[in-house]
Amino acid sequence: MRHAFSIGDTEIEVWLARDGTGYRLSGDAGSARVDLVPAGDGAFSLVVDGLVRPVLVAIDGEDLYVHLNGQTHALRHLDPTRRFADAESAGGGDVARAPMPGTVVRVDVAAGQAVVTGAPLVVIESMKLETTIRAWHDGVVAALHVVQGQSFDRDAPLVTVTAGG
Amino acid sequence: MSPFPFDTLLVANRGEIALRIIRTAKRLGLRTVLVAHTDDAGSPAAAAADEVLAIGGRTGVAAYLDAEQIIAAARRSGAGAIHPGYGFLSENAAFARAIAEAGMAFVGPTPEAIDLMGDKVRARAFVARHGFPVAPSAIEDDDPATFVERAHALGAPLLVKPSAGGGGKGMRIVRDMALLEREIAQARSEGERYFGDGRLYVERFVEQPRHIEVQVLGDAHGTVVHLGERECSVQRRFQKIVEETPSPALSPAQRAQICETAAGIARAAGYRNAGTVEFIFGGGAFYFLEMNTRLQVEHPVTEMVTGIDLVEAQLRVAAGEPLGFRQADIGSRGHSIELRLYAESPSRGFTPTTGRVLALRLPEGDGVRVDAGIARGQRVTTAFDPMLAKLIVHGADRADAIAKARRALADFALLGCETNAAFLDRLMADPDFASAAVHTGWIDAHPDLAAEPELDPRTRLALAAVAALSTRAIRDAADAVPRLHASIGGWRN
Repeated sequence: MRHAFSIGDTEIEVWLARDGTGYRLSGDAGSARVDLVPAGDGAFSLVVDGLVRPVLVAIDGEDLYVHLNGQTHALRHLDPTRRFADAESAGGGDVARAPMPGTVVRVDVAAGQAVVTGAPLVVIESMKLETTIRAWHDGVVAALHVVQGQSFDRDAPLVTVTAGG
Repeated sequence: MSPFPFDTLLVANRGEIALRIIRTAKRLGLRTVLVAHTDDAGSPAAAAADEVLAIGGRTGVAAYLDAEQIIAAARRSGAGAIHPGYGFLSENAAFARAIAEAGMAFVGPTPEAIDLMGDKVRARAFVARHGFPVAPSAIEDDDPATFVERAHALGAPLLVKPSAGGGGKGMRIVRDMALLEREIAQARSEGERYFGDGRLYVERFVEQPRHIEVQVLGDAHGTVVHLGERECSVQRRFQKIVEETPSPALSPAQRAQICETAAGIARAAGYRNAGTVEFIFGGGAFYFLEMNTRLQVEHPVTEMVTGIDLVEAQLRVAAGEPLGFRQADIGSRGHSIELRLYAESPSRGFTPTTGRVLALRLPEGDGVRVDAGIARGQRVTTAFDPMLAKLIVHGADRADAIAKARRALADFALLGCETNAAFLDRLMADPDFASAAVHTGWIDAHPDLAAEPELDPRTRLALAAVAALSTRAIRDAADAVPRLHASIGGWRN
């Protein structure tokens, strides 16, 4: 199975196979003989077509951080099943996600409540600015993913509103 | 035996500045007590303090703003002095007064000085009254009949502002004085529309201004000295990102003038302890902006070139000691630059980022100083200021300092939360920065600096390799495949 990673706004697909003592990488980024040899405490030696470079690697769930040539890069492993699900629901958009990290100032609705387009759902605060998340279609509050005072990361689900009701 | 009238210092702050204060206090033989919110219980500052007292609040920020709770903690711990750091309660005159009333020393200026400089209008009037330069201005309310005449007398370029204004609304720049009356009429109508108040004032507009500030120090015995200037023109949304000393924009004569002016303002105010006088500089002229009555975030660049520990000086002054040095004793050697590492995404409009510090490697070496308040395992949240660490370098000259800054940035690694490190490196590599052609609007005028550059193919390939090889599912799948490649690998090479 091919796997994909996001780096910034771009996605790359990778495919890996054994190749002698190391591996053969192919995909969007190109093809090369590669290996990653642990050097202790998060440090590795990365081998790409015989060229060896030191890297630091840290993994947190789907997120992967790589320090290479003096720069840190953030990558995210795009789970094959979730990728498919996201594509399915594209345009449906029942979940409001956080545009940036912040804190919940107030929750204006309860789960199960019927709402009309434009109704205030949740008030969040990021960078000292308050933003009201409003219902983007008529429907029912299917789930509240946050409570008042809670802090959240970027992309965290805030509230789910299903259409109809 | 401590030379101080107090043997215990309470630090009423968090993060890098709390750790930095604790270090100097310990070196001077003082016992250190830190107040800490639960979120900071595992911080390096908490680990370094001799004692940690928990403070609570609705939020972390509220806890560090709770003067009553902090003074009670100081009493409980037997502290004889409180250092407020920067931010939080550092410029709160009531806090300084309450500490004095509790019989302790506030490591900062007198409440009167905080009050005077905290009121921007009063401060400006005070500075002007003592004959120091403020931006020339004309206030309509002073005498409405002569307002236009007085505005004309100031000369171009001018900035017309609604008296009730804010946020740039209704502000108009006048470069051609023939248009002055028309612009005044428009600004008045905008002021009425936005604020229900059409009163105006005008002041000299400084094109592409630079932010230059001067460190001052005063003691309780009437001595006031300056420790040279810092240039902090590289800003985003009025927040400093890069600071340096000496300023590459000043001639020796201008430097002497701006530094003497700052010391003169501090003397006029009877200022004691550490303070910073901020100026707007442009077109060869400088004007008083405001005075900060506390230790600044960017104080380390001054320490690097003067060799003076500002926190030590603050503690000695708070203890009633004389400064121990005069203006002529203060030298300046080489060039120093400070870079502020923030948990933020420059390419997404400098919005904050969050995460957990999974791995941390700090640069070290000759002329490199890191003031950091973070440790591995710590969560980075939006509950506090997004500044993670300060990277300070000292070089023989500016070019040497820039080269050191770039090497130090390359050695800095924080994995687990996106930072502005790559953006800082782009700033250091920019020809405008190298030639010091910067001003406070420089970053806003160059959005390309904040944009994430496209990855070069070699880096893309290397990252793809690391990603594939360190993802369990991918590596396991590769290892499970019949070794077709393995069998031909020998001669394929």
